[in-house]
Amino acid sequence: MRKEYSWRSISLAAFFGLIGVFIILQMLRIQNSPEAEEFRKTTRGYKGWMQTVYPARGELYDRNGHLLAGNQIVYEVGITLENIENAHTIAETLSAIIGIDYAELYQAITEAPEDQIYHMVDEYVYTADAEILQQMKTEMEEAMVDGIEQQPSLAGLEFREHLARSYPEDSIGANVLGFVTQSGHGYFGIEEKYNDLLAGSSVDIWIPADPNRVEEIPQVPDGTTLILTIDRDLQVATEDILDQALYDYGAKSGTIIVMDPRNGEIIAMASTPRLHLSEFWAYDQIFDNASEFNRATNLPYEPGSVFKILTMAAALDSGTVEPDTTYIDTGSIQVGGAIIQNWDKQAWGMQNMTGCLQHSLNVCLAWIAVEMGPQTFYQYMTDFGIGRATGIDLGGEAEGRLRIPGDADWYAVDLATNSFGQGVSTTPIQIMMATSAIANGGTMVTPHVLYGMVRNGEQYNIPVQDAGTPISSQTARDLSEMLANSLAYEESLALVPGYRLAGKTGTAQIPTEYGWYATDVTNSSFIGWGPVDDPQFMIYVWLEEPSASIWASYTAAPVFSQVAETTTLLLNIPPDQVRHQLATK
Amino acid sequence: MSLFKRTYQQAPWRTRRQTVGAFLVGLVCASMVGALYLSVTSQAAILGREIQTLEYRIGVNKQTNANLNTQLAELLSSDAVTERSREMGFRTATASETHYMVVSGYTARQPVSLASSTNSYGEASTIPSVYSESLFDWFSNRLRSGR
Repeated sequence: MRKEYSWRSISLAAFFGLIGVFIILQMLRIQNSPEAEEFRKTTRGYKGWMQTVYPARGELYDRNGHLLAGNQIVYEVGITLENIENAHTIAETLSAIIGIDYAELYQAITEAPEDQIYHMVDEYVYTADAEILQQMKTEMEEAMVDGIEQQPSLAGLEFREHLARSYPEDSIGANVLGFVTQSGHGYFGIEEKYNDLLAGSSVDIWIPADPNRVEEIPQVPDGTTLILTIDRDLQVATEDILDQALYDYGAKSGTIIVMDPRNGEIIAMASTPRLHLSEFWAYDQIFDNASEFNRATNLPYEPGSVFKILTMAAALDSGTVEPDTTYIDTGSIQVGGAIIQNWDKQAWGMQNMTGCLQHSLNVCLAWIAVEMGPQTFYQYMTDFGIGRATGIDLGGEAEGRLRIPGDADWYAVDLATNSFGQGVSTTPIQIMMATSAIANGGTMVTPHVLYGMVRNGEQYNIPVQDAGTPISSQTARDLSEMLANSLAYEESLALVPGYRLAGKTGTAQIPTEYGWYATDVTNSSFIGWGPVDDPQFMIYVWLEEPSASIWASYTAAPVFSQVAETTTLLLNIPPDQVRHQLATK
Repeated sequence: MSLFKRTYQQAPWRTRRQTVGAFLVGLVCASMVGALYLSVTSQAAILGREIQTLEYRIGVNKQTNANLNTQLAELLSSDAVTERSREMGFRTATASETHYMVVSGYTARQPVSLASSTNSYGEASTIPSVYSESLFDWFSNRLRSGR
């Protein structure tokens, strides 16, 4: 009986076995079919997606924690084409709110290629405008009535928020900060110099859809936040003084730098003209060339008599002269076949070295340079960093030019003219760095704007960098005394009551494109520091072509005085007498 | 041996019951492990989704914070503060109006420090082990903690 019916079991087993084999064969067929790759691609799409992450750009703070450059939310406004219900309304509204050309937009969204699904209208729409658009879109959706065609509708309009650069102080410190374009790249100043550090690195990351793999999503750090050495309040005051000086003295443009000569920290750096950083696209209308963006570092010029400080420092340090060395000024000296004269074309008679600086005698300084000899003179100038960039951390620094013996365009007379700052081109920051050696006991400091950086919750402060010791501390002290005395003796307009300051004017002739010097315009400069016994600030003033007076002693010197007084107030530097009393308590 | 054979011949269902019983015990154990694993996996999946949501919110909050920080800076900008000060009747002190005095314990203002002493960013980015441990790790931890 059992054997009689066993064929049923065998048949069923064979049937199900065949089904199993068929399923396996079908699986193999599907896995190797032409559609298999499509299936795999689709599957991979469900597993996750690639995403480009743009870290927020690092912020910029001044030394007291005031935000100078931050980030604000803006919106990318675009249109999903298949969702458009009324192209006319969209084009008309966007034209009215964000100034998009109506015809251009209407054509772009009504005659878009078939494979286009999204049209980006504007990547940087401010929050206020975006909110208006969002509100209008909602109101139109609510007012829709069924059955009526071509009703006003902003359906299809999409908003995506993201961060963009913002400058809360607008034009303050613009020449130091630089700016960031909509492409996210920094130009000029800090924004250019530290672009890679600030921007962070955009990263393509894989986002797994599987929540169990959430730990595989990498954390992309934001850009590094930078703290600058700039003091916002002093920067504002310096810019105000500079703007007023341009008005008072009829100067074309100007520059003022305030630096701590002990460590090279730039506390304020003003330059005209300045760009409103929130409207950086006006750059072309304001500047004729890139070097004008920050004249303090980017624009070399013949500095004139402020250079005499370096000549005198070299002469004292090399033993060519001593502070009491006398020189009988006859009003002219012949060097390399050319006659060198004083600024007033007068003879000043017997002078010691302080007198030569006090009266800014070209003849005396030319004599000193000749006595020193070209080899010694140019070696010292090279040691002072003349003719090469200081390395300040701002974009676009210029090197200037120091012609030395052996150069095809160097002539013997250059030794004399260079000694009083003509025939040599430097930037204001180069003169500051070189002169910091006199204020800082013989050691030059590298000027810098970066105080520290904040990354991953840690703050890293930038250490002071020396830039060499071109002169001895004794020479530095002697020269500081000479310069302080010369200001006091001549009752300079640069003086600030209560403070003993050292400094030097510079009235420089301006070379024309024809090779000779202009006769009616000058560059007025002044460099000074104080308090002399404990220098805490060094100030450089450069006024271009002031019309009120061609002499720096009447233009740049009083500007220096204003900046110095403001600096002492804002940096809490008490008058010398008070400071000495406080020190003894 | 003969007793075993006899017993089997008399009641073969006893050994069958033992076999079936053993099979069922195995099945129940496997089901329990499967259910446990399913429960843990589903919880991990839910928490993973929560992490994804929280990370999205962190991103949004960072954007909002950056925006608010900038708005605050605009309100405290030099121009704004100067204008408000002027409206309140203040003006900049001159050198002759400034008096210096000794304040014991006062130290001159130092440049700002924007970072805390702890590495908070690193801690925040560390995912707790509960989201990454295996079933075995979880079970071991449970045993160790006595729960």
